[in-house]
Amino acid sequence: MYWEFSRKSFQRSAAYRFDVWTRIAGNIMFLFMWGFIWYALYYGKETVGGVSFQAMLGYIMISQALQGIHGAGAQLWEIQERVRTGDIAMEMLRPYDYTTRMLFSDLGSIFFYFITAVLPLYTVLFLVLKPSVSLTLAQMGLFIVSAVLGFLIRFCIEMTFGLFTFWLIETGGVEDVFYFSISLFSGSLVPLWFFPGWLEQVAHYLPFQAIFFVPNSIFVGQLKGPDIFNALLGQAIWLLLCFVILRLVWHRASMKIVIQGG
Amino acid sequence: MVSIMRGIGLYSYMVGASIRAQLQYRYAFVMNILGWAMTYAGTAVTMWVLLYSFGALDGWIFWELIFLFALAVLSWGVCMIFFFHFRSLDQYIVNGTFDRFLVRPIHPFFHFMAMKFDVGAFGQFLFSIAAVGLAYSNLHLHWTWQWLVFLGAVIGGALIQGGLLVAISSVAFWTTRSERLYWVIMWPLKSLMNYPLSIYPRLVQLLVVFILPFAFVNYLPALILLGKTGRVFAPFWGALSPLVGAIFFALCFRFWMLGLDRYKSAGS
Amino acid sequence: MSLIEVNHLYKEFQVAKRQAGLWGALRSLLRREYLTKTAVRDVSFAVNQGEMVGYVGPNGAGKSTTIKMLTGILVPTSGEIRVNNLIPYKERQKNARQIGVVFGQRTQLWWDLPTIESFELLKQVFQIPDHRYKQNMATFADILGLDEFLNTPVRQLSLGQRMRADIAASLLHDPLILFLDEPTIGLDVLAKERMRQFITEINRERGVTVILTTHDMSDIEKLCRRMILIDNGQVMYDGELVLIKDLFGKERVLIVDLEGETDSFSVAGAQLVKEEGNRKWLRFNRELTTASQLINRISEKYEIKDLTIKDTEIEEMIRHIYEKGLAVYEMNSCRIENNKF
Repeated sequence: MYWEFSRKSFQRSAAYRFDVWTRIAGNIMFLFMWGFIWYALYYGKETVGGVSFQAMLGYIMISQALQGIHGAGAQLWEIQERVRTGDIAMEMLRPYDYTTRMLFSDLGSIFFYFITAVLPLYTVLFLVLKPSVSLTLAQMGLFIVSAVLGFLIRFCIEMTFGLFTFWLIETGGVEDVFYFSISLFSGSLVPLWFFPGWLEQVAHYLPFQAIFFVPNSIFVGQLKGPDIFNALLGQAIWLLLCFVILRLVWHRASMKIVIQGG
Repeated sequence: MVSIMRGIGLYSYMVGASIRAQLQYRYAFVMNILGWAMTYAGTAVTMWVLLYSFGALDGWIFWELIFLFALAVLSWGVCMIFFFHFRSLDQYIVNGTFDRFLVRPIHPFFHFMAMKFDVGAFGQFLFSIAAVGLAYSNLHLHWTWQWLVFLGAVIGGALIQGGLLVAISSVAFWTTRSERLYWVIMWPLKSLMNYPLSIYPRLVQLLVVFILPFAFVNYLPALILLGKTGRVFAPFWGALSPLVGAIFFALCFRFWMLGLDRYKSAGS
Repeated sequence: MSLIEVNHLYKEFQVAKRQAGLWGALRSLLRREYLTKTAVRDVSFAVNQGEMVGYVGPNGAGKSTTIKMLTGILVPTSGEIRVNNLIPYKERQKNARQIGVVFGQRTQLWWDLPTIESFELLKQVFQIPDHRYKQNMATFADILGLDEFLNTPVRQLSLGQRMRADIAASLLHDPLILFLDEPTIGLDVLAKERMRQFITEINRERGVTVILTTHDMSDIEKLCRRMILIDNGQVMYDGELVLIKDLFGKERVLIVDLEGETDSFSVAGAQLVKEEGNRKWLRFNRELTTASQLINRISEKYEIKDLTIKDTEIEEMIRHIYEKGLAVYEMNSCRIENNKF
């Protein structure tokens, strides 16, 4: 029955095609910006910290593609808006689980965005720019598993942050913490291996690196052999933890709705 | 002359009212300022991490990069105070509230501009002034006449960015929607300019010098102010910021008025 | 010389033709096809100083477009407008000083500020002299009861309060003409009544010429002697309200909800104009049949659960004019008569 929500949001995305085009245009512009930044950083250097520019190019391309996919789902501000307007309180009355429904609607719009924009465009980009990616079929499979785990972790965290709106009048600060963490600690812009040692340690103990850094690293072959399985295990643990926290926060939030009417 | 004096008086009166309106939400006001300052600090931290392993980006060391970034943020702050609400012009047009600006005996552009004085921009000032200060001392700069160039860059930068905001907003006179354009044009362009222009291909450089002159916001003035040499454009170009800003803003203003004429003949 | 003169006014809009489907959307990016929609078609009228005129018509008839041209917001496609000898779209700012405008659904006040601050701002914008401002504020506070909410932010006002504040705001600079676009829309019965009283008072005491658009006929009945009826961009009627009321005002519609089997429903003295299940719309002429007679007749055969009686609505009236063919020259004769008066 939840697939119905996916279908609906898929159709809605199809109706707002213009939004999809503008989003992919922005995504591609940022890809080029980071491409030139890394190109300039690498200028005159073969490898830095054992990573070649070609590998780095692969890293940011897959990172940008994943970010594009994540961006097609409901954003933090949308969740906050739904809490403020009481939409969520209304949906509590319906016979389904709200967070699961949100996940399935996200899947619908993401699927549309993926097949109409991200997949064709990035296929072309990968063929043209030829970054070094040494993917075996098995690695590809592990990358997909890792990317899906990353997506679910991001979903849980974003949802949790969004639900904080139930207790806060003004969410400015929460938002900024979230966006800062997701842009830096997730490794979406700069991979963790370029971090100063102590910051890398900090990042490793945060769930954000499981969102982009782990799948990206598998994709460009920086994670190999048993390390991949360790990383996947780490992701799974983070997902479990984030999921438990989300359920806990959601439980408290629904109590609040039931008692105070939202 | 009389009308200019009256305009200034009226503007300051309306600004006062706008500030009082914003102060009604004190908590949001403070959080907004802190939020902006933190967001920029976050970008600065990313730059630091980026340069940690690499040392320099096309010859720009960390503090130079911070200076380049902070200069753009500073003039963006000035621009936001005066023009940021042009971003929501399309909403006024869609729900019909724009008409009110046309039944008052003052210039509609002036009226719309005076309607809001965005004090949230103090977050930009908080970050950029601290960052410029730190960069100034860490780079051991000693400016004399350069202060004039700096001032010119802030004014010119505010006019260039404000001009683009105005031009984007006026698209709403034709299409009733313009918010998206902000995200497709203004936002990537601003992000692009946080890094030295020399790393981008020639086409981009020509675009931001001659068409949407964002190079005059921070890159070209920073060349003079930091005593660097540009590979493509001579540093003295940076001194032209206020002039370029004035011309670009004037063009954008004409475009806005053109849009207004179209609105008056076609409605919304 | 009349205060407002409108001659052969036309306003045409270009409307982009929407094409269906993805292919159509792509094609319309390259080459758009436009349709010309005439919103106002050869409208002429004149309004004298001190008149109160109802500008009436169904939604989309061209009322707002006309008002927008009179206030200088829109430029006409062709035709002539003079408002106190000014051409509004050419001398918009000058014109703005002599008119007051209220758009019923959209406030012109500063949303987040206490109401009084909006008045102070308008004082600055219109350069209203101190003594006039004080006098006006005192008058409006008195008749509109502004005092109770002057220090409340506009966003917290009730709709009725906000409308009163909006009207006061539009009159602060002593305009010659007041344009009211749907001034009673969304108000409850009491607030409506109060608004109407105030409008009458402004017109009588201050001699302000009032042009008001509405689709609520009772507004017009209570306020105006003269009505301009517009449909499809064209003037259908321009003249005294009494005349048109004589023509159509006799007709009423009785809406009844019945109990039980009502398939072949009919009743003498009324015409069944519409039915939805057990709800029937019956048109009757009140000079020939009274409502109570009609109700008696129905209740002999059926059980009445609920009923309402309605005046003829504007849409109905326009249909009548088409059907009965109220000739154009008749309207003109009404206008001439009116001008003499």
